[in-house]
Amino acid sequence: MSSIHRRIELLDIILLIFLTIWAGVIILPFLNVVGVSFATEKEYYNSMLVLIPKKVTLDNYKVLFQDGRIWIGYRTTLLLVLFGVSLNMFLTTTMAYALSRPIPFRRFFVYFIVITMMFNGGIIPLYLLMKQLNLINTLWSVILAYGVNSFYLIIMRNYFMSLPVSLIESAKLDGASEWRILFSIVLPISMPIIATITLFYTVDRWNEWFNAMIFIRERTLLTLQLALRSIVLERQSSQYFSASEIYTKQFSEGMKMAAVVVTMLPVMCVYPFLQKYFVKGILIGAIKG
Amino acid sequence: MKRSGWRKLFIDIWKVKEIYILLIPGVIWYIVFAYIPIYGLTLAFKSYNAALGIFHSPWIGFENYRYVFRDPEFWSAIWRTLYINLGRVIFEFPFPIILALILNEVRVNRYKKVLQTVYTFPHFLSWVIVASIMINTLSSRGLVNALISVFGGEAVNFLGSTKLFIPMLYVTNIWKSAGWTMIIYLAAIAGIDTEQYESAIIDGASRLQMMRYITLPGIKSTIEILLILQIGNIMTQGFDQIFNLSNPATSKVGEILDMYIYRITFLGPADFSFSTAVSLFRSVINFAFLILADRAAKMLGSEGLFA
Repeated sequence: MSSIHRRIELLDIILLIFLTIWAGVIILPFLNVVGVSFATEKEYYNSMLVLIPKKVTLDNYKVLFQDGRIWIGYRTTLLLVLFGVSLNMFLTTTMAYALSRPIPFRRFFVYFIVITMMFNGGIIPLYLLMKQLNLINTLWSVILAYGVNSFYLIIMRNYFMSLPVSLIESAKLDGASEWRILFSIVLPISMPIIATITLFYTVDRWNEWFNAMIFIRERTLLTLQLALRSIVLERQSSQYFSASEIYTKQFSEGMKMAAVVVTMLPVMCVYPFLQKYFVKGILIGAIKG
Repeated sequence: MKRSGWRKLFIDIWKVKEIYILLIPGVIWYIVFAYIPIYGLTLAFKSYNAALGIFHSPWIGFENYRYVFRDPEFWSAIWRTLYINLGRVIFEFPFPIILALILNEVRVNRYKKVLQTVYTFPHFLSWVIVASIMINTLSSRGLVNALISVFGGEAVNFLGSTKLFIPMLYVTNIWKSAGWTMIIYLAAIAGIDTEQYESAIIDGASRLQMMRYITLPGIKSTIEILLILQIGNIMTQGFDQIFNLSNPATSKVGEILDMYIYRITFLGPADFSFSTAVSLFRSVINFAFLILADRAAKMLGSEGLFA
């Protein structure tokens, strides 16, 4: 009996070591990025690896902010989040609520949505459509191209359908309009799902780059991700191994890593506190879907 | 009879007109930005003329496909896509399952929560960011080569080598997404009836036995669904990752179908009909894979995706 007990203890230790190593595999690359972003060029080239720089410098960040692209990126992405997520939430909430109520053709409309989860036109027709609508080179193209995420819509509809019907019926008897029911009864008791879906949309918008890259050629409308991309890939050759090159180029690595830090900092700061909402979202989706 | 049927329907709709009004904005969005592009796939059978637009360009039947099928780069892109993404099923797919099974064994709840937060975080970063992090980590002065040199090895050019590029795709995708997929499996594990474990403990089962004979069968249907979905994504997976990780040295080994479509459409003189023909072909194969995977799963006795 006691031998079994000891074997279990050993198993626990092995598993914990494995899990901790994997956590290290996730964390260390981040530390490496942050370390390089605060390091001097000299330290970067003289030490084998920079995790915590001995001499902390803000020069890389100064160079980055003087470059200007990151400001453009932040401005564009903040606008995108502000207008984009508002549109996302408006379209998703109204549609999810309407489809949670018993109405004629409800099945038709649900299929209408589900079909788009399996088929889509892809980027080329969408690009030509934006061209025909004269939205190329405007932020509206990116805002409108991602109006509703069908998956989030279905999650929200399922949530609304799980609410007690009597609540809505009694409000109707009191003469409240559907619009009023949605805003003063349904939404207040659906805050968990509203928060979760808003969070999902915000992250999606924050990370938006592909549509923006296709639809917007204007340099003054770079999204944050594309600003980062243009900074990091600017001297892509620096990742190749060439001894002669390493010492001739200026210290762009530090500036690039500073750009990575600035781009992911907001997500990094809020994620630990909001993690439970993200997880809740996927659980609702997994159970109902 | 028929007229009164229409009348009744009209009255039914009129009664809920407020709800229908709420439905309108969303439906308009779907029509304009989802269904018109789907209709736009007909460009595959048209000769696109910018002045005439998607709707009025002339039909030319399968003419575009004559050229598509004759393009050797198209075929190599298809095989490359299948090769890379079947590799993902083999090398990437099992990892989150293992991670979930192991994390489930951790009894210290606080530590479990911390690990969960760490593992899931990279999922919320874009591939632009993750690729930048990886380019740094795998560079000559990065973390991995520092470790290699500690053990006395030669520096390896991970992202610049055509041989290592595809394995690096698997490794970096596991790094980014395994934690998040793990959460789905953990949720499935949490749904397993605890009585099974209790009686197994009474029978003197070891924890490994319980993992093998209770937990793993308990999440079988979740594994099947995610596997079907992954196979159903076989033609479309990986664009964001490869687009951001590849460089001139590796652009050929990583040119999956979506990269090929991007290159012929947006880098150089575009033939939108040709590109759409390729894109439609890709969607058809992709859908075929989804249905096939679903059928195969059903034949092997699982519930499958489509009831």
